[in-house]
Amino acid sequence: MPDLRTQEYMVNMGPHHPSTHGVCRLILTMDGEKVVDIEPVIGYLHRSLEKVCENRTYAQCIPIMDRFEYVTSMSTNQVFSLAAERLAEIEVPERAEYLRVIMLELNRIASHLLFYGTTAMDCGALTPFLYGLRERELIIDLFEMTCGQRLTYNYIWVGGVSKDIPPEFEPKCREAIKIIGEKLDDYQGLLNENPIWLARMKDVGILDPDLAIAWGVSGPVLRASGVKYDLRKDDPYSIYDKFDFDIPTLEAGDNFDRYLLRIEEIKQSIRIIEQALDGLPEGPIRGKVKANFKPPEGEVYCRIENSRGEMGVYIRSDGSKKPLRVKMRGGSFNQLQVLPEIVRGKGYYIADLVAIFATLDIILPEVDR
Amino acid sequence: MGLIKKLPVYSEKIPGGGLVTTSVETVLHFSQACSLWYLLFGTACCAIELMCTGASRYDFDRLGMIFRASPRQSDLIIAAGTITKKMAPRLRKLYDQMAEPRYVIAMGGCTIKGGPFYYDSYAVEKGIDHIVPVDIYIPGCPPRPESLLEGCIHLQEKIKKQKLSDWQEK
Amino acid sequence: MTREELKSYVEGHFDGKLKSLDTGRYDPIFEIQPSDLITVAKALRDDESLKMDFLCNLGAVDTCEKLEVVYSVASTTKNLRLDFKFSLPYDNPEVDSIKEVWPGIDWYEREIWELYGINVRNHGNLKQFLLPDDWDQGNPMRKDWDAPDFIRMPEV
Repeated sequence: MPDLRTQEYMVNMGPHHPSTHGVCRLILTMDGEKVVDIEPVIGYLHRSLEKVCENRTYAQCIPIMDRFEYVTSMSTNQVFSLAAERLAEIEVPERAEYLRVIMLELNRIASHLLFYGTTAMDCGALTPFLYGLRERELIIDLFEMTCGQRLTYNYIWVGGVSKDIPPEFEPKCREAIKIIGEKLDDYQGLLNENPIWLARMKDVGILDPDLAIAWGVSGPVLRASGVKYDLRKDDPYSIYDKFDFDIPTLEAGDNFDRYLLRIEEIKQSIRIIEQALDGLPEGPIRGKVKANFKPPEGEVYCRIENSRGEMGVYIRSDGSKKPLRVKMRGGSFNQLQVLPEIVRGKGYYIADLVAIFATLDIILPEVDR
Repeated sequence: MGLIKKLPVYSEKIPGGGLVTTSVETVLHFSQACSLWYLLFGTACCAIELMCTGASRYDFDRLGMIFRASPRQSDLIIAAGTITKKMAPRLRKLYDQMAEPRYVIAMGGCTIKGGPFYYDSYAVEKGIDHIVPVDIYIPGCPPRPESLLEGCIHLQEKIKKQKLSDWQEK
Repeated sequence: MTREELKSYVEGHFDGKLKSLDTGRYDPIFEIQPSDLITVAKALRDDESLKMDFLCNLGAVDTCEKLEVVYSVASTTKNLRLDFKFSLPYDNPEVDSIKEVWPGIDWYEREIWELYGINVRNHGNLKQFLLPDDWDQGNPMRKDWDAPDFIRMPEV
């Protein structure tokens, strides 16, 4: 029998592909059915948000920031407001800080529920998608009754929040987090011992902690690799230092741990919301801020922990009412950069790649901006 | 349940034992309108609302709409989210790969006229209607699931009103 | 280590290569010489009491007179954070790549090359990735950039 000649070949995946959660293109180098190398091609959602922000006043920037990371747009509001407040040295009333924490944590739960649904759908299970989005609607209802929007909230403003919560918010919120807390067991019961799920998740896509830190990976992906690094504890912003909560970490750093860690994070977020609702003080919801305030000349880089890791914004002010430069940093940008490092040389199949992509929880607006 | 129980009674009452007369046109367009399979084409914020519409509470399936991953199996593109200059040729390509009859829904402000990125953006396509022909525009940033459902119902009405002669002229 | 201690520590060490600036608001910010970039980056990462192992951000700024490049770094073990920056001329700006220090800076460097036209020496993979494939209109994030279909928002 003559010698068989083999050669590597290229496969294009995306930019329109259901499992890439948006518009990401991956150029795969394949050896038979195994992935040898990946080259991500991004920019299909590059909307030049940074350029748009340069010609808006600080208050007008916040709706633009909403589009930077729409799954948790409360945190984009928060990071921009926090940076502008540090730049202009604006005080925030205590009630507003409590409301911010409640909204941020509710949004983190909503984001993780979406993760739960879409990841399971990428692996072929449709039921978790319906379950996850069913409970997410409870949270969306709470946002809607507060600020009138379902997705892009424009709620957290420089110096406070835009509106106070309606009186029926608190009982509804307590009910919603109670339901979600109870349903978490159902969620795990659907997947945790499912052999198909375990085959797709266990020991697939292992990310080494040293590699993760060197590549700037943060958030749940980093903590699933065993690094206890959460900005809510390590670099506390807002009033996170007042609450009692844990930072869950897991050791293996594979797909399964990344999934399990997010479920644990939902439990911790519920704890924070309960404490914040109990301690919610009366008082004003917004400090005295002019609509077109002019921060003094200077620059600040400000970062918070959102559901995808470190979200940061760098603002440079030249003393006018518009920022000279706004640079946004999203966790997904680094998580997508590290994807070739996870996959290269491990001999994963395309199906594994889809699962790894899903558990890194990359969304593309954060990458492309 | 009440209607389903009564249904045999109604059909029995038709004189002659269940014969229905209609035109090919009506049946064809009725079945087209009630089985619109849409291409899963979500680019930005509106894609999340599209997912919510497909999920438990809003339940897209009751309009006979099921998502498809391939353009060759779909009748409808719901362009959900911003179309950038880099993405525009890909949208055209996907549209060209679909079989006739095909429809386009422009969901959200970005696809109508650039939305919040009309000013100061160098990368956003200002409206998709010069890339692909659009049947229904749904304003909003992002539109609520109810508006999307409303838009789809309008599209169904539009399909039902079509004439077979329209296709011959094409 | 508090922010004030961090500021005086960094100024006292590293042969005076990092000079403190007062434009920064919350975390300290330092100025360095562009030629010292690799030395400073390595020293910050390897210093026993700083251990700046995490690169947060890299951004370029166009101030209409010159270009500036700002590096934001943090430590995952010591809970410290600082920025350092330097200025570049408008014509033929060039920086050194520090991929060997923090590999995660790869795409950030590509981004400033693409959007600001700052050449990155020894990067090895400077390819267009955010802009369309057939883009031929220059570096759009520069303040003097303009194009026929680029509309500025009118003043209200």
